[in-house]
Amino acid sequence: MKKVMVLLLTCMVLLAACSSGGKDKEQAASGGGDSQSKEITIWAWDPKFNIAALDIAKEAYNAKHPDVKVNIVEFAQADIIQKLNTGLNSGTTKGLPNVVLIEDYRAQGFLQAYPDSFTDLSGKIKADDFAEYKIGPTSYNGKQYGVPFDTGVAGLYVRKDYIEQAGYKLEDLQNMDWKQYIELGKKVKEKTGKNMISLDPNDLGILRMMIQSAGSWYLKSDGTTPDLKDNAALKEAFSLYKELMEANIVKVNADWSQFIASINNGDVATVPTGNWITPSVKAEASQAGKWAILPMPKLPATPNSVHATNLGGSSWYVMNIPGSDTAADFLAETFGSNADMYQTLLTKVGAIGTLKEAAKGEAYTQPDDFFGGQHTVSDFAKWTAEIPKVNYGTSTYAIEDILVVEMQNYLNGKSLDQVLSDAQSQAEAQIK
Amino acid sequence: MLKTERRGGLSIRTKSTLTGWSFIIIAVLMIAGFYFYPMIQALLLSFKTGRGVNLSYTGWSNYERLLTDKTFFTALKNTFIYLIVQVPIMIILALFISVLLNDSHLKFRGFFRTAIFLPCVTSLVAYSVVFKYLFGSGGLVNTMLMKLSIIHAPIEWITDPFWAKITIIIAITWRWTGYNMIFYLSALQNIDSSIYEAARIDGASSVKQFFRITIPMLKPIILFTSITSTIGTLQLFDEVLNITKGGPGNSTLSISQYIYNLSFKYTADFGYAATVSYSIVLIIVVLSLIQFRVAGERK
Repeated sequence: MKKVMVLLLTCMVLLAACSSGGKDKEQAASGGGDSQSKEITIWAWDPKFNIAALDIAKEAYNAKHPDVKVNIVEFAQADIIQKLNTGLNSGTTKGLPNVVLIEDYRAQGFLQAYPDSFTDLSGKIKADDFAEYKIGPTSYNGKQYGVPFDTGVAGLYVRKDYIEQAGYKLEDLQNMDWKQYIELGKKVKEKTGKNMISLDPNDLGILRMMIQSAGSWYLKSDGTTPDLKDNAALKEAFSLYKELMEANIVKVNADWSQFIASINNGDVATVPTGNWITPSVKAEASQAGKWAILPMPKLPATPNSVHATNLGGSSWYVMNIPGSDTAADFLAETFGSNADMYQTLLTKVGAIGTLKEAAKGEAYTQPDDFFGGQHTVSDFAKWTAEIPKVNYGTSTYAIEDILVVEMQNYLNGKSLDQVLSDAQSQAEAQIK
Repeated sequence: MLKTERRGGLSIRTKSTLTGWSFIIIAVLMIAGFYFYPMIQALLLSFKTGRGVNLSYTGWSNYERLLTDKTFFTALKNTFIYLIVQVPIMIILALFISVLLNDSHLKFRGFFRTAIFLPCVTSLVAYSVVFKYLFGSGGLVNTMLMKLSIIHAPIEWITDPFWAKITIIIAITWRWTGYNMIFYLSALQNIDSSIYEAARIDGASSVKQFFRITIPMLKPIILFTSITSTIGTLQLFDEVLNITKGGPGNSTLSISQYIYNLSFKYTADFGYAATVSYSIVLIIVVLSLIQFRVAGERK
């Protein structure tokens, strides 16, 4: 019996030692201490973009507040979502960051699923200072939770040389609609043998861009009612997508790296996507001068469709854990108001912010030699102001997965009305 | 012994029972705490609905939703296709290879065994990523097949609904055949060689020996590997997520991946995710019972 007791005691001591060791670490990671704590942790993805932007913000903030320690941690976006979900559900705030980056499409999901876990920043930043379309996803119940960061304003990146080989001039393509785009694609394929666009069948980003250009979304403006069956813009986008596929001008990719490779290898003539692709396009220095950025094509048959839309983009959120005051202060002084810092962000990282004041800065009006001296940033800033505001709601990705399947059915011959009404009923069962 | 009995005031029987319990008590507590408690919590969770932390009991509504959920049935169908096609192929392949490698006349046996077992020690994610690139539309497999003039246009291994399933099946077969082979090899070495000798003297061909001796002797192992493979396939996740992400259009989606999507990809709905998890539990129980019935020994 004695030995048993000894064994048990040893085990308990060991367990206690392990668990307290873990606790120390976690506390260090989450900043620990009270809300005035001088150490904050930030989670974000993409080292070349968001992390690089954070480094600049950290430098700017530390210049004024040298006593605050800012820990920047890089995770993949999927990992951040998973960690947030598990962390917030477990009921303990240990191990969570003070500041986290959340994609706009997902923001409402988090804000509504974990209402008390994010800090209201209404008193720290002014919503009016930012591009209007960013306020919808970052606020909830009239409170401003997110500090809007990058714009996902989209443009049509085109290879000038391929377009010219096909017998077109850039000036002719300024105000295209998607029908003309497809015609252009057929010409380009015929003349150069290159595909017009690279698409991942699992990612309907192009559909999202098409419908947002008409102020429409997968959900009605309440953010919860699926709007698929009688959504004219979506219907048109579906038929254009099919037309695009059947025109045999699409290079199918299976993931991000293949997508980037198709751009850098010169396999595609155009890339309609968010402006955050710029660093990846420029990564292939040998193609300097061959690219230009045009306004997005619009939907031909939907009257309110415009030449401006959005893809992706994200914002910063402060978590309601010890250290939140410092974290809110950090965001308010950097991403929330510092227009000068946004000039550095643009020149060093290529990140276009949504702070209105920043667009007046010098860096925003510089021409870009890679794009043949085009004033790309001022173009994007102009289009940003025109993006129709939509409510992304909570279920963008859930609905998109339903649509991906129904899109395959549609491509395989199922009727469009049937496809959309099936998608509608599935979405209604899914979203409650 | 007597002395200790007097000192402790316990009978030998009680004492030995206590000793026994004290040996396993830690394991029992750990298993109860880390397995059974979460299982019960998950069962309770499966009766709740809501986003994130705003959960409330809604009775059977999740189970009703399950029965009308198209995506769930697609995932179920895919998983069963993997199961029905892949598990038998893998078991037969593993059996075949292990019998070949058990031949004492074979040279470099150790090398072949290691080579075939090696896939099992690779990380699931690492090998999935490699497979994704091998089977990419301009990947090694397509290039090879084209150079050999077997095909004229690249096969869309990842983005075509039919071929994507084949790719997944090839991948998991590659990864797990060696693992099952090891079980057969060790079982084969336990079969007395005198049985084969006697059979040979009686004039039994090697084919007959294989079907009449090897297979019956390996029966418990075959049962074991087919049950573990079945369970493994039902829990298939890493390969699908990394190679095809469940696509194109859910055509390779597995049940586990659907659970992951419900919890982490979409706005978190842990209640319904738990419901789908319990459907897997149910299926595994039923399948294992069937396998025991069909292949189990009559005792």
